[in-house]
Amino acid sequence: MLSMKSKITLAPFAAFGAVALLAGCVGDADSPGLEYMPDMYRSPAIEAYVDYGQDPYYFGDSLAGAQRATPSARLPVEGTIVFAGREQDAALNFPDPYPNTPEGYEASGLNLHSPIPMTQATVDEGKVIYEKFCQHCHGAKGKGDGQVVAKGGYPPPPAYDGPQLKDLPEGKVFHSITYGRNVAMGAHASQLNTKERWLVTQYVKFLQHGGQIPGQGTAAQDSTATATDSTATQAK
Amino acid sequence: MSLLFRHFRRSAGLLAPALVAALLCVAPRVSAQVDQAVYDQGEKLFKANCGSCHKPDKDMTGPAVKGARERWEGKGDLHLWIKDSQAYIKSGNAHAKQLFEEHNKIVMPPQAVSTEEIDAILYYADNFAPAGAKKPTEPTAAVPAEEPSSNWEWLVITGLLLLVVLLSLGGVRTQLANAVREKQGLPAEPVLGTWGRIKAWAVRNKGWASVAVLLIVVWMLVLLWNFLFNIGVYGGDKVAHYKPSQPIAFDHSLHAGKDNLAINCQYCHSGAEKSRHAGIPSANVCMNCHQAVSEGTKTGTEEIAKIYAATGWDPTAMKYTGEQKPIVWNKVHNLPDHVYFNHSQHVAVGKIECQECHGPVDTKMDQVEQWSPLTMAWCLDCHNTREVKVAGSENGYYKEIHRRLATTPMGQKELRKYLEDEKITVRELGGFECAKCHY
Repeated sequence: MLSMKSKITLAPFAAFGAVALLAGCVGDADSPGLEYMPDMYRSPAIEAYVDYGQDPYYFGDSLAGAQRATPSARLPVEGTIVFAGREQDAALNFPDPYPNTPEGYEASGLNLHSPIPMTQATVDEGKVIYEKFCQHCHGAKGKGDGQVVAKGGYPPPPAYDGPQLKDLPEGKVFHSITYGRNVAMGAHASQLNTKERWLVTQYVKFLQHGGQIPGQGTAAQDSTATATDSTATQAK
Repeated sequence: MSLLFRHFRRSAGLLAPALVAALLCVAPRVSAQVDQAVYDQGEKLFKANCGSCHKPDKDMTGPAVKGARERWEGKGDLHLWIKDSQAYIKSGNAHAKQLFEEHNKIVMPPQAVSTEEIDAILYYADNFAPAGAKKPTEPTAAVPAEEPSSNWEWLVITGLLLLVVLLSLGGVRTQLANAVREKQGLPAEPVLGTWGRIKAWAVRNKGWASVAVLLIVVWMLVLLWNFLFNIGVYGGDKVAHYKPSQPIAFDHSLHAGKDNLAINCQYCHSGAEKSRHAGIPSANVCMNCHQAVSEGTKTGTEEIAKIYAATGWDPTAMKYTGEQKPIVWNKVHNLPDHVYFNHSQHVAVGKIECQECHGPVDTKMDQVEQWSPLTMAWCLDCHNTREVKVAGSENGYYKEIHRRLATTPMGQKELRKYLEDEKITVRELGGFECAKCHY
């Protein structure tokens, strides 16, 4: 009588145990799990961001250990110039001529000017980049009231059209984007190439002047400025 | 005073933190007597004029404003220094010159503030109570989604429970029957055991038994088929999402969430528009903000200290030591090596939102998981139905396709075929060709 009873109760428990064991096979959250033919999934060709040290399939355990700390997500070696593809774009990725020093900042302000004439089209392009890379701190209109400042309590940047930045020359704007400014603003040269930084600079200038393309020194730029002034105000 | 303080710190380094702690303990009591009107005016002025370079209680680009009055006592005119620092250095004040050199010769621009306003700012900084600091709201939907468990698991569990109930009922029945037989003076039923009784039933009902066996076999085959089909699939509706731990507990919902900091995805993953890889940001991108933010809302200094270790930033000296230790992230989305995928094609040309494939990273993921299955069927499902806006495209390749479709007789014939469903899909432009992704 007793033995039969124990048999009856044991059977489902054994089944539960088996299920639990199977579930245990995929318990490691860091391991993706089973895969077919791993050597087709992981070839010897280096893939970005793959830590080859994780992969004992391919390298064997000893090499896996050595490769474990294969660094990912680093800046390229200093002085690296991006391959631009087209000859006319090569200069876009040359290193900045002015160093990250107070003197470099002043010199940029005096001598550095945009190689791209400012038009409504370039301002629009700059706006797209600005919204991705600047707006969260500087705010949609450059008032220094982005969400990182408003919600995150980040040190507020001065408004573009305020007393500190209203007359900041474009060379200094460009220098600030390239190298960062003081502690609160970091360098953005690793995210934006020279052309993109100039486009953002143009949009910053646009905001400095209350949403208008300012008249500029040279005659060629003057004509484009007057031609697009009306569209600028319309766009706003 | 600041020089004195330095010497003091060197000689009795342990005492200084204790003193600071003691001061902090006293601070709330002091703030109880604060003149709120002056404090508020000072706060407003501080945020408008000083906040981008100074913190009230900590060194940032410039020194902490708290205690500035004390540090300047007997050394010069603090008001003149604040109003126009460069002019004051030129006037020959030694302390001003020393401060300028200590802080990396960063020029503090002349400030258009009156003496009374400066006093309000100093009053605010001296009485600064960090408890009032605004904090970002908790992510609204940070609750991790329920573990996706497939239906058959539940079926098995329910089945097993039912079995237990049935078997114990059966046991009770046998015992009752035996009790009745015992009363009638008959010998007890032969003890057959579970398996024996099932066999006896099967012999009596051959037809039903074979149907039951067939059903069980089919069910197990289906299970096996599904199991084999989901090997190597780490996302989607049918399997638990792959969600590896990361060396730094970076919270996407905090940084990118619309209700939080709302930083654009591409600020950090700036390769998405330009390259095959969206890119894991190099740690210098973290430092763009975290030079100034050393304490998080959830994990305090613990996780941010890991970025500092990686980039070699010394938060007390506010300087890079040059000693870097790169972060080794765990890759979440792994495509097999025999598949080519390009982010820029999908983001810049296809204009697909990140969330469409990666799921609600910005609202729900405090730890990133693989949202989509990334199987070939999943790719092709989209290629089969997604419209390509060829007409009016700025893209040179699509312009040329459009020209050929619109102007050549063969193209027009093709175009009519394409437009049977009123749109040109990725498939019709070659999105189903093997060599587009496998080469």
